[in-house]
Amino acid sequence: MAREPAARQEGEVAGGGDSSSESGSCSASCSGDSDELEPEWLNSVQKNGELFYLELSEDEGETLLQDSSSEVSAVNHVRFRENEAEVIQEGSQKERKYEPRLKKFTKIFKKKNLLPKQSGKKGTGGGNGHSSGPTSILKHQSTQKGGVTIQQRYKDVCVYVNPKRLPNAGAGEKVKLLEALVGIVHQSSWSSRKAGDQNRNNKGNNEEKLVVHGLVPGSSAIKTGQILIGDALIAVNDVDVNAENIERVLSCIPGPMQVTLTFETSVFEHEGTSQQRYKQAQSIMNNLVKLLWGEDNMDLQLAIQGMPHIVMYLTLKLDSETSKDEQEILYHYPISEASQKLKSVRGIFLTLCDMLENVTGAHIISSSLFLCGKLVQVVYCKESDKLLVIGLPAESVPLSQLRNMITDVVRTLRFMYGSLDSAFCQVENISCLDHFFNLFFQRAIQPARLNSNASPSVQQYDNCSALLLDNLPAVRWLTLPEEIKMEIDTALSDLEAVDFAELSEDYYDMRRLYIILGSCLFYKGYLIGNHLPKEDLIDIALYSRHYCLLPLAAEQRIGQLVIWREVFPHHHLEPSEASDVTVYREPEARYFLLIVGLRHFMLCVLLEAGGCTSKAIGNPGPDCIYVDQVKATILHLEGVESSIEERLESPSVPCLSCADWFLPASRDKLESFTAPPILSKLQNKIATSPTSKRTLFSDSSLRTRKPSPSRNSGGSDNGSEGPEEGGGLNPLATLDQVQKHERKESQGSRGSEGSGSLFKVNKKKQILPNPFHLGNLKKSLSEKDMELCNAIKLTSGPENTLFHYISLETMQGIFITPTHKEVQQLSGSIHPQLIKNFHRCCLSIRSIFQQTIMKEKKKNSDSGSNSESRKASSDFNLVREHGVLFECSPDNWIDQKKTPPTMAYWVVGRLFLHPKPREFYVCFHDSVTEVAVELAFKLSFGLAT
Amino acid sequence: MGEDEGSITLLCLTASSGVPLFCRSRGTPSKHQLPFSVIGSLNGVHMFGANLDVLLAATCTANTRVAWRVFHNSITLIVLSSEEGASDFTLGRLLDNAFSTMVLILGLEELVNVRNIERLKKDLRACYKLIDSFLGPLEKTGDLTQCVECVPVPHGPVLQECLEAFAGAAESRFGCLLAGGRLALATDPWWQLAPQELLLLTWLVGVLPPHTTRDYPVYLPHGSPTVPHRLLTCQLLPGLEVCLLCGPSPGLPTVESELVPRFWKPLLEPLQACVRPPPPGAVLPPGVLAFLLVNGEQRSSLSSVQPPGSRGEAPLQEPFQAGFPHRAQHCYVVSATHKAYAIHAPQHQLFLLLAPNVPTFALRPLATRALQRLTEDAAC
Repeated sequence: MAREPAARQEGEVAGGGDSSSESGSCSASCSGDSDELEPEWLNSVQKNGELFYLELSEDEGETLLQDSSSEVSAVNHVRFRENEAEVIQEGSQKERKYEPRLKKFTKIFKKKNLLPKQSGKKGTGGGNGHSSGPTSILKHQSTQKGGVTIQQRYKDVCVYVNPKRLPNAGAGEKVKLLEALVGIVHQSSWSSRKAGDQNRNNKGNNEEKLVVHGLVPGSSAIKTGQILIGDALIAVNDVDVNAENIERVLSCIPGPMQVTLTFETSVFEHEGTSQQRYKQAQSIMNNLVKLLWGEDNMDLQLAIQGMPHIVMYLTLKLDSETSKDEQEILYHYPISEASQKLKSVRGIFLTLCDMLENVTGAHIISSSLFLCGKLVQVVYCKESDKLLVIGLPAESVPLSQLRNMITDVVRTLRFMYGSLDSAFCQVENISCLDHFFNLFFQRAIQPARLNSNASPSVQQYDNCSALLLDNLPAVRWLTLPEEIKMEIDTALSDLEAVDFAELSEDYYDMRRLYIILGSCLFYKGYLIGNHLPKEDLIDIALYSRHYCLLPLAAEQRIGQLVIWREVFPHHHLEPSEASDVTVYREPEARYFLLIVGLRHFMLCVLLEAGGCTSKAIGNPGPDCIYVDQVKATILHLEGVESSIEERLESPSVPCLSCADWFLPASRDKLESFTAPPILSKLQNKIATSPTSKRTLFSDSSLRTRKPSPSRNSGGSDNGSEGPEEGGGLNPLATLDQVQKHERKESQGSRGSEGSGSLFKVNKKKQILPNPFHLGNLKKSLSEKDMELCNAIKLTSGPENTLFHYISLETMQGIFITPTHKEVQQLSGSIHPQLIKNFHRCCLSIRSIFQQTIMKEKKKNSDSGSNSESRKASSDFNLVREHGVLFECSPDNWIDQKKTPPTMAYWVVGRLFLHPKPREFYVCFHDSVTEVAVELAFKLSFGLAT
Repeated sequence: MGEDEGSITLLCLTASSGVPLFCRSRGTPSKHQLPFSVIGSLNGVHMFGANLDVLLAATCTANTRVAWRVFHNSITLIVLSSEEGASDFTLGRLLDNAFSTMVLILGLEELVNVRNIERLKKDLRACYKLIDSFLGPLEKTGDLTQCVECVPVPHGPVLQECLEAFAGAAESRFGCLLAGGRLALATDPWWQLAPQELLLLTWLVGVLPPHTTRDYPVYLPHGSPTVPHRLLTCQLLPGLEVCLLCGPSPGLPTVESELVPRFWKPLLEPLQACVRPPPPGAVLPPGVLAFLLVNGEQRSSLSSVQPPGSRGEAPLQEPFQAGFPHRAQHCYVVSATHKAYAIHAPQHQLFLLLAPNVPTFALRPLATRALQRLTEDAAC
């Protein structure tokens, strides 16, 4: 490949600062310093190829480490791998055949790194120091920080071992007794490096310590609950053990017996209390990170312990042969007292599920139970003869929301494992699922504790919106100026082309491993670039949401995040019913998800193997080249970070105003610095008489524009500007006013565009045919005056009465809502309440819309056989728009004599089904005239680009 | 499964022994009678949960809702509904009303201490008519609002005076005048009855077999669930009945032959006007298809459905629970074929059903005006 993209060079810089750039001339450098280039995450790759590697940037990692007591945070991501690293078995032959060759040419990685599973055994001898890549927590832990001392303590743990129950060893495979018998996972290579460090600091003996790197689920070691990851096993029945002799010692156990294991625990202690304050500030953030690392965070656990919540996977088929206890439970979590009660009534769920399906012919959806005086909602999902049950208290999650949540859970699990059966019925998944549902319940019951935001107002915004936004089938989208978008799109396209030099097919005369189906880029949790079909985007978004990756990237600079796993996007695996010969068929392929996070960026890539690429065999781990290439793309995009940041800081289009400005109490205060004369005018008008409303309309500064030559990028929906049917408006009385005023205002308001003009330009070309009531208005407008035209909208200005909005583009899988920054700027006493109320109300409205959509679907599916009258009656429930007027008054009203001033505002949601489904929710002041309300909806067409 | 109209089934069992007492249903005949095994397991799951301190309250499938309720540890009521508008709320109301009906007719004592199940079964037959009326499609708004339906009467003060005098002469404080199954006038103590009692008494008179006079023993579910009172009704004109709640005296013949002619004969003309009162919706702006006005203090409601064939109020399942920091005042819904608007004023609640051609922005002024007019002239 003659092409030498800039991205590639940067990629190499990231990879370790290798100087030579021509891929052919490598042989010299590949042997020498390659150890330095070994990526940190390689050792975290699990046996099944999965990887979840998270590392904070230097400063954050430090604070976290200093916080963590008793447990060593660094080793905790080991929990993600349940089994020891082993040589890949059959099927790896082919892989091995070409991988060395690849390695040879890429010169970045050593052979053992390309086959990460082997590194576990082989790497022991190396002991060649640590890499000079980005600092990882690993190193923080081993090289001791000044403020921390390590105390060694010893503890004895009794475990029951039974050598007779050992699984039969495969041919030629050596059983690790420590793991098979006791259930302790120890990885020699991994600790050898660490031990080397420790030796330098401590004593200097050469025996490798048996550090617990993981515990086998269901083993006797994990059952004791006393053995922690990070402990070092030093004696068995008072016989000193180390890595050398442990297998020998254990093999001496003749039969089932109790053995005493002696462990050395490391306890970190703070020397001073100076960090105490710092710690406080960081503690919330740590909750999330700790959770992600799979640490058992007692704090968080205890907080939700009293809440009855449960997830169970039950089977309806009873196998009387097996005499296992509780055989109908295939999986359940958590094991707490409150959940125990729910577990004990599983018979109810099974019976109801089976019986009601027989009686009513429809699948079961939900149940309500009273438990210890609390209303608990239970939702079901049935897959063949298995039943997934999730129960949560109604006070945390309303039922309609819970129904969405189980759909999301099921979708995510199917995305991760292919089907519920394969997720729950395989023993090795259990610890992963525990972690998954731990996160799920933490998010559902106490989202506040997981939110890592520094600013309280933003945090509050997060909390109140979490319930709604987390369950939208969409991702938060950030509108960006065109140039930046271009740049991002170009970078993503370059990546997706997969023609980086190392992977040129011609060059090596072999097929590449993967092709990239698409990618999407997040910045601080906002989606800023997407090259994925909607279904895939949602799948990935749900996955990231479940693992809280988006908030993580929003607040903390991720040092490095690498996630790799095989995924099962149902969009690709289950093609649509129309299985024509002519229709494109998805190839029989396997799919992999690669997520790389760097600082505030997170790039998710969906890879396909087996279509036009070589078939994936076994459980391939992440391929370094792909990871590096993705990383390089992010680094390449760092140039636009400042412009994105600028966009986040700048006031948005449309502008928002704060509810508190509309209360006279705060007006005086406000006038002193912002002096909004129009505001006071506004209030006077509200006070005087309801008829003055019409004149108010002029204040809201409507503006029309000449039609810009509309180069509709989509090209699809243009040209249907004709008369539209709608129940809508006949506001001729007001129209004259509007027009008159528009002429007047158009001069003045043009100046107020300010920095936002870029976005407006952006919007202009997106003028869509108007699918709703405004159609009439537009028509009459154009009849009367051809100059007046399409883009009517509420513009910015202090007299703006728009408080908040959410625009959900169901088709594209994105939603747009004011950024955190914008909300943060609008602080006040009432406004946060208003925001909270808005989200709560949207939740209700949305659940009504969901019913509508469901009915619509049903109607469409059986429309042929229905009579007209029946249709009419069911149409009644097809809600298109829902609005609620709220009234509020300040909380702390001191003046006892006067009644507190009130402010009224609307929360209105609208559902559009044509041309494409979308939902739009706005919150605005009562004084907005009804026509302006229509205009607010018009906004929704400008928002999405 | 095409659930054309939807069906609804109410099951009544004894809580301790699980013996079915009755089963009332409406809707598609195929589901008319649930097999006993289904009834048994429906009761069984609830009982099993109760033993473990887990109270099963409701369950829903894609097309059916089921609700359970145990009253006084002796009677279990289970309802299955596949109606489209059914919600946990409406089913809860239904169960509550059904049990109160049983108390109204049989008294609480007999229901709590069941001595002879066979006799109880027979006695419960008396409740069927009233209970069946709950299962019917929503004709009465009282089901939903728990407010008695009223009808405005011309010459109100004159009739009110007469009613008070009539009740006084019959040694009773509780008296009311019913026109066409709705409450036209009532003495103050009558209004003091619990809203549910008001409702049930009104409905009871409606479903009793037509007679010119009746003397019917009733227990008041909230006021006196164990001591029966006498409900006396006399038909003044077709569709117009006067009711009294009284103790052992006076006898029905006295009331019928002495008191009624004495008090009501002179007022024949105003009474005739009561039978066919002018539709209250006449004053309303065009576009209003139906309205429902609820007086929150008096727990009374006034409603009207103007065009035939309209389905009445939208089954709005507003899940407004706690959790809203601010108070909702107005609310509207635009659906494919109708529009609806609701106002929550301090004293009244007004629900309007409007034609789809009424512009959305005009809903609010229209509704405010309607509320003003209705509260001005309505007796409610």
